[in-house]
Amino acid sequence: MRAEALKGHLDGILLAVLEPEPRHGYAIMEALRVRSGGQVDLPTGTVYPALHRLERAGLVRADWSVAGGRRRRVYQLTAAGRRALDAERSTWRDFSAAVTALLQPGSPPPAAVSAS
Amino acid sequence: VTPASPPPDRARPAEASPGEPSTVRASTTIDGYLAEVAARLPGPARLRYPILAELRSGLLDAAEAYQAAGQTPDAAARAAVLDFGAPGPVAAGFQAELASRQARQVAIAVLVTGPLTGLLWLLTAVASHLGPDLPGLGTGLSPGARGGLVLVAAAIVGTAWAAAAGIAATGRLTRWLPVRPGRAPLAAALAGFCAAAADGLGVTVLAAELVLAPGRLALLPAVLATVAGLTRLALAGRAARRCLTTRAALA
Repeated sequence: MRAEALKGHLDGILLAVLEPEPRHGYAIMEALRVRSGGQVDLPTGTVYPALHRLERAGLVRADWSVAGGRRRRVYQLTAAGRRALDAERSTWRDFSAAVTALLQPGSPPPAAVSAS
Repeated sequence: VTPASPPPDRARPAEASPGEPSTVRASTTIDGYLAEVAARLPGPARLRYPILAELRSGLLDAAEAYQAAGQTPDAAARAAVLDFGAPGPVAAGFQAELASRQARQVAIAVLVTGPLTGLLWLLTAVASHLGPDLPGLGTGLSPGARGGLVLVAAAIVGTAWAAAAGIAATGRLTRWLPVRPGRAPLAAALAGFCAAAADGLGVTVLAAELVLAPGRLALLPAVLATVAGLTRLALAGRAARRCLTTRAALA
């Protein structure tokens, strides 16, 4: 999956990856790869600016920590980040349900979709 | 793009070994890549350094994982750099963040130092016994100085407005309001230039009063206010120019 296909959803995806536990940059990339079954393979370098943007918006917090003699910047969700993730999830659910219904061959759209 | 999948999250080398292999640390491939990113990343060094340090630790983590998966140190470093993507887009992504942080710092600095210089002005007014006339501060002053103070007030309003815009465009509000990258540096530069104008006009009024009507203003606070005004004028002007430079470099 290329970066363009994920455009608009990268923020939500990063928040979701940070939901279970705080992670540093490399661990975030690994989690993206593993959780997407290898489907998401972004240029690593572009994920860091996105993390900084989320930090500035107060959705994640970043702290330097030292492990194994190397300093790493570890990101964790803030309360606002959790709320944003919830919102992102419900938006995505509605969106994907609508697109799934629209792409279905021949079946009439459910009332909920045609009303929205 | 990924030649060999590095071990999953749980097997992070950081947790496995306390020290990092010197072969990875010394990689010229990684430092060469970082130099290319740095060359495309204009802005204050104190903001650039942590970014490059973070990228470096991420690259070293990735290289270490490739090495743990059986690659030679050189191949591992090359694979890590390949995963990161071309230096151009990486630097471009950070340019907007850097510009935004710089703009925020300048806007806050301008907003905080304004009342400090204002305090010295008030001190001058009080020490010169202009205090009781505060609602019409100008009553003890010459007409020229009074006109100058009106201009100073206008510049202060402009400063506060632009600085507030710069702060709003770079903080939590961006969660709901998407802001174009060039906006915040522009607002911060405007705040800086307005502050410089306010200080320049203020200092001119002070100096004119001191020269044309010796003895009307208390000398010590007036001199302090002049020095503070000139200092802030120079710093705010420089910061504003830097914000414009950063803005011009935005992709």
